Amino acid sequence: MPGKGFFYNLDPRTKIISIVFLMVAIFLLETITQLLIGLGVGILLLLVGRISLLKVVKGLKPIFILLIFTFVFQIALNNGGVVLSTAVMHFNLYSVIGIVLLFVVWRILVRLTKFRMLLLVAFILAVYFNLRYINFQPDFYSFSLTIYEKGVEMSIFVVVRLLIIITLTTVLTLTTKPTDLTQGLESIMHPLKKIGFNSQDFALIISISLRYIPTIFDEAQKIMLAQASRGADFSEGKLKDKLKQIISLLVPMFIIAFMRSEELADAMESRNFVPGQKRTRINVLSFSIVDVYTGLFTLACFVGAILVKVML
Amino acid sequence: MGIRFEKVSHEYASYSKKTYKAIEDITLNIGEKDEFIALVGHTGSGKSTLAKHMNALIFPTSGTVNIFGNDITKKRDKKIKYNDIRKRVGLVFQFPEYQLFEETVEKDIMFGPLNFKIPVDQAKELALKAMRLVGLDETYLNRNPFNLSGGEKKRVSIAGILAIDPDILVLDEPTSGLDPFGKYTLMNLFRDIHKETGKTIIIITHDMDLVYQYFNRAIVLKDGLLTFDGTPDQLFKSDILEQNHLDLPNTIKTLSYLKETYQIDIDIYKKTVKEAIDEVNRVMCNE
Repeated sequence: MPGKGFFYNLDPRTKIISIVFLMVAIFLLETITQLLIGLGVGILLLLVGRISLLKVVKGLKPIFILLIFTFVFQIALNNGGVVLSTAVMHFNLYSVIGIVLLFVVWRILVRLTKFRMLLLVAFILAVYFNLRYINFQPDFYSFSLTIYEKGVEMSIFVVVRLLIIITLTTVLTLTTKPTDLTQGLESIMHPLKKIGFNSQDFALIISISLRYIPTIFDEAQKIMLAQASRGADFSEGKLKDKLKQIISLLVPMFIIAFMRSEELADAMESRNFVPGQKRTRINVLSFSIVDVYTGLFTLACFVGAILVKVML
Repeated sequence: MGIRFEKVSHEYASYSKKTYKAIEDITLNIGEKDEFIALVGHTGSGKSTLAKHMNALIFPTSGTVNIFGNDITKKRDKKIKYNDIRKRVGLVFQFPEYQLFEETVEKDIMFGPLNFKIPVDQAKELALKAMRLVGLDETYLNRNPFNLSGGEKKRVSIAGILAIDPDILVLDEPTSGLDPFGKYTLMNLFRDIHKETGKTIIIITHDMDLVYQYFNRAIVLKDGLLTFDGTPDQLFKSDILEQNHLDLPNTIKTLSYLKETYQIDIDIYKKTVKEAIDEVNRVMCNE
């Protein structure tokens, strides 16, 4: 993940602390305008750091569904302010058939095309219009869905806030190596030693687990193939057989993980690792002038947010 | 019939954007019967990837693998019963740790047959038979597979596939990690199975002595490309060994050293140590 740009050169500690403060600042903001300014600042940060927007958007993919659901629920559940639209939602034989048809069409389109998320949005909108306009009596059930100004406002507000937070964290994870991140965390949490929390051990645990995620994933795949060649194909067979097959996957995985951990412990000990002893680092963290600028920028944002909150 | 590779390539997705071609444009015919094939090549040459294609564990990214009349292509075909293919072509992985999971050796060996819908009492018989074949006696039946030594685990994992009684047997480095005696016992076992039943057996190995002594066909891979397909005799008489990172068998090496150092007329192509010694004796008597 070596890259050029402003954020890559920053000390991980500065990045972690700055992002925590910026997030607090974001939560202090109260109106959409303020948040949009915040989003602007976030995008500006991406540009300064020469991080491609496309990468961030791709990083948003997994939580896109969450965003859509918060949006929909905020619209549906908030009431107050001016009524924007009100309509009766009809659940009758035809509209239910319509929903089923829409669902089928949606699933087929998802398989054929690439724009999954857009299709999801289109599906939700289509269900809305379907329920609203297919009005053949008798209805099994009907309710009136009213969209208030407050609802729209709140939904945009929450979604934008989530977007900013995710952008900030992507900046952190995209520009920082996991090892640097844990080293930074370790350094930040070092003072906690006084209350009995050993940050060095904690950092070691995190970095080892991060290191072994791809390895274990790899091994799981090999085990799956080995069992598949003994007839345990995970995509064929009945549910009862599948349970047994899952056991045939899990047991070797645990055994191998234990074996690996023991080997790792031996390897560490044979290189003179003693738990709890002070260790030296290859890369010693050090602050530079860019860290000062970043700190000042964060402070300005934070104070600005507090001022906005107090003044307005 | 058997296994037919037609212009088969397999690419793995890589962390960087480029994909990594494990095997490339392989065209190969493996007979249903009477073949005893050594698959050789240096590490990372695509041997294991090729082996995994042989029972449709992975699908080619281009080309076709025809296994007993079933065309395996890039896409999963719902008409093909992949489990049936795996019943007919058994693949033993290199590390037994990847497949042992039951609490007794017997149950673990029975796992395969039971998956292929063989009744329990018949599976038990098959398990016992397979165990005997690989040189484990009844005392192992109720032992925990995780408490066995590396070599014994290996035998259990091989027995797990033998119990399925496949038509074609593919083994990924069955002799690695075994002591010399165990190695030859196991190889003799495979040769006996091959001779008695006529089953095609394909073995991935790095041991040129074994290749020369046991097999009647050798397939050489280099960087994913098929560079040689012929008998071991042809292989070791050819001049492609070095460019394929292969070594000569010890008998040939020793005899050719003797030939060069003492300038004697000696046949260097002897398969076993015994044959080599006989040849040396013969030449010594003549001198």
